[in-house]
Amino acid sequence: MKKALFAVPLSLALLLAGCGTTTTDTGGGTDTGTGGDPISTGTAAEVVTAANAFLATLSTGQQSSVVLTRTESNSTTWSNLPVGAATRNGLALSSLTETQRAAALAVVKAATGTAANEGYDETTQLLAADDVLAGSQSGYGSGLYYLAFLNTPSTTGQWQLQFGGHHLAYNITYNAGAVTGATPKFTGIEPKCWSVTGSTVNVITSGCPAPGTSGSTTTYAPLYQEQQGMVNMLAGLSSTQLASAKLSQTFSDVLLGPGEDGQFPSTKSGLAVSGLSADQKALVLAAIKPWVQDVDDTTAAALLGIYENELDSTYIAYSGSTGLTSTADYVRIDGPSVWIEFVCQNGIVYRSQIHYHTVWRDHTRDYGASFSF
Amino acid sequence: MTLPRPPLLSWLLALVFALLPGRGLAHPMPTTTLQLDLHPSSVTADLALPLNELQLATRWNLLGNASALEQYGPQLRTYLRRHLAATTPSGQAWAVEIGEPTLSQVQQAATGPYQEFVVPVQLTPPAGASTRAFTLRYDAIVHQVVTHSVLVSIRRDWERGLNKESGNENVEVGVIRTDPRTGQVPLLPVNQAQGNAWQGFVGIFKLGMQHIAEGTDHLLFLLTLLLPAPLLAVMNRRPHWGAFGGPRRSLLNIVKITTAFTVGHSLTLLLGTLRIVNVPDAPIEALIAVSILVSAVHALRPIFPGRELVIAGGFGLIHGLAFSSTLAELDLSPWQTALSLLGFNLGIEAMQLIVIAVTMPWLILLAQTRLYTPVRTLGASLAVLASLGWLGDRVGLANPLGTLADSLGAAGPWALLALAALALLGFAFRRAGNQGVSTS
Repeated sequence: MKKALFAVPLSLALLLAGCGTTTTDTGGGTDTGTGGDPISTGTAAEVVTAANAFLATLSTGQQSSVVLTRTESNSTTWSNLPVGAATRNGLALSSLTETQRAAALAVVKAATGTAANEGYDETTQLLAADDVLAGSQSGYGSGLYYLAFLNTPSTTGQWQLQFGGHHLAYNITYNAGAVTGATPKFTGIEPKCWSVTGSTVNVITSGCPAPGTSGSTTTYAPLYQEQQGMVNMLAGLSSTQLASAKLSQTFSDVLLGPGEDGQFPSTKSGLAVSGLSADQKALVLAAIKPWVQDVDDTTAAALLGIYENELDSTYIAYSGSTGLTSTADYVRIDGPSVWIEFVCQNGIVYRSQIHYHTVWRDHTRDYGASFSF
Repeated sequence: MTLPRPPLLSWLLALVFALLPGRGLAHPMPTTTLQLDLHPSSVTADLALPLNELQLATRWNLLGNASALEQYGPQLRTYLRRHLAATTPSGQAWAVEIGEPTLSQVQQAATGPYQEFVVPVQLTPPAGASTRAFTLRYDAIVHQVVTHSVLVSIRRDWERGLNKESGNENVEVGVIRTDPRTGQVPLLPVNQAQGNAWQGFVGIFKLGMQHIAEGTDHLLFLLTLLLPAPLLAVMNRRPHWGAFGGPRRSLLNIVKITTAFTVGHSLTLLLGTLRIVNVPDAPIEALIAVSILVSAVHALRPIFPGRELVIAGGFGLIHGLAFSSTLAELDLSPWQTALSLLGFNLGIEAMQLIVIAVTMPWLILLAQTRLYTPVRTLGASLAVLASLGWLGDRVGLANPLGTLADSLGAAGPWALLALAALALLGFAFRRAGNQGVSTS
């Protein structure tokens, strides 16, 4: 009995120690101040306007919680863990008044894409998914999403927009009125699909239908396109190509999650996209698109163009099965710039189901190329 | 050599924190933990491997398999032999012994509950090599599941006063994880600073204090034994507790009782730690419950007046046996054992003295008022109930009374406050009203 009493704080302490390590072991990077090349001007000016409008609704104390100094430590503070287990920068939506909350979400909306089920639409659905989780377990919910500005938003200086909570982390870097980095961007989802009829929420336990509305029932599946894009990409490969794309290792999570900044594998593994047919290459690009579309449309188009130009030096790889329906099913796209991982994990709250973790990084544009990891 | 200042405040704080609900912490995925115990001639360890990640690494059918342990236990040991090794800094191999796995359930807030195999391991360096510096090669699970991590920490290290029994936090050594850049699993160098005998002594001293502070049953026994100490036994046809025996006599009684208890448990602690006597925990724990029951009955009606010393000493023998398994587990050198016995005993004494110092003044005050009879009766009755609950628990009859008794410790500070308030009130009232002490 006494041993059990000791075991609880001990294991908690150990877990804390472990978490600390994974989030702080990021090497000694420094903010170069200049940042990387501009990707596009995107909606930088609108984002700054929205940011200032949001700041104007806040008290001085709140403003100092939102606007932080852009250090490597603050920049890399994001996670895929519930906020009870890993703190976020900035102010939680739950701490804001209705007016402040609307102004905060307007900033996110200005910075993100307008495509259906992507960008801002996907973002609000990810928050809604957390509200579904909150219905059965504490520590979740759309109130536990945080907004922070690292450095004062401006169209002249360098600053970073952070918005995230459990299963979502936006890190968009602006410099001199242009977007210089849209990554790292973490996206996860549990439950992966659910429907709402009136005020009744129904978690869909088998399969995951396309999102849409039928009668009075709306089906939500915020990462449907992401999953389908990857499945289609793999389905387009011949069995010989699949054999080349298959990794011998197993993935129970994304490889380059929080704290794993700059840890890209030194050699790319899997199947070279250069050897694929035009149709197959189009499927690879289509698989990349749902991630890229989360940032504002202009920047998304610019980045997709860059990733398309680099397709011949890009590799795709997978582990587990190609259906992306079982635990440890995993797929990766690794190019000179683009890095996307998608993995199926055990359910945490809905234990009979899997849930998704995904990360989008950019070899040369993470955090606007401000840090050397 | 000066004794350390009794860290009363830090203990009170520790008690407060122990009562606070634990904050839910989480880790991305269940991790393997490797907790090392450094001994003078070997390193022992507990290795905990989460079943879901092990299944991914080995393709064994572990999840939802009720006979996973029986079916895969032997294979697990073979697997670990291939994936665990240690060498001296100069490259000489250590002997590795893999023990029998067990299966246990882990509660982890953000990843939900999961099962893990716990495997005891013994690592023995070549003759003459230190157990404080070695290189660990461990790649079970991570050789295949590249997103898995292994948290390595030191759980016990006598030289630095580290023992998980006093709730010390483990000292983190490092995390073993496949390097995403290279795909390699790095070796983990373990290089622990030398401690010294003083740190070891202080660590065990604190452990002794903790044993009393957190051992609700030991505390209750002591307090129950002290409850009638200020009173004179009246041994007629209906033996009962009579008048206040005077402060001098009360204090003398208390000193005698605690000393006899100390002598008793010191003796068995010595015998148990040296493994001269080796008694299983279960009957000892049950006997401790009996000891509380007997003292509680005595506090209600004198059943062994004048023989408190013998009884306290005798029960001390039993309580000492319960402490001794803790020290024996640390697997110390003879010199460390000697220092530990001294440190542990002094820690127990220090905590007992603190408890007595904050309790007895109120009992002595109260004993001079009419309030003492109901207070003593209530206290002793609670102790009777708690001891019966524990006795039930410890002979295998789980009962709500036992669960309630376990939580008595939490009520301790409040009970003490109430006692103090009653004592002051009763004493002031007696003075004001010039009431005599009940002498019948």
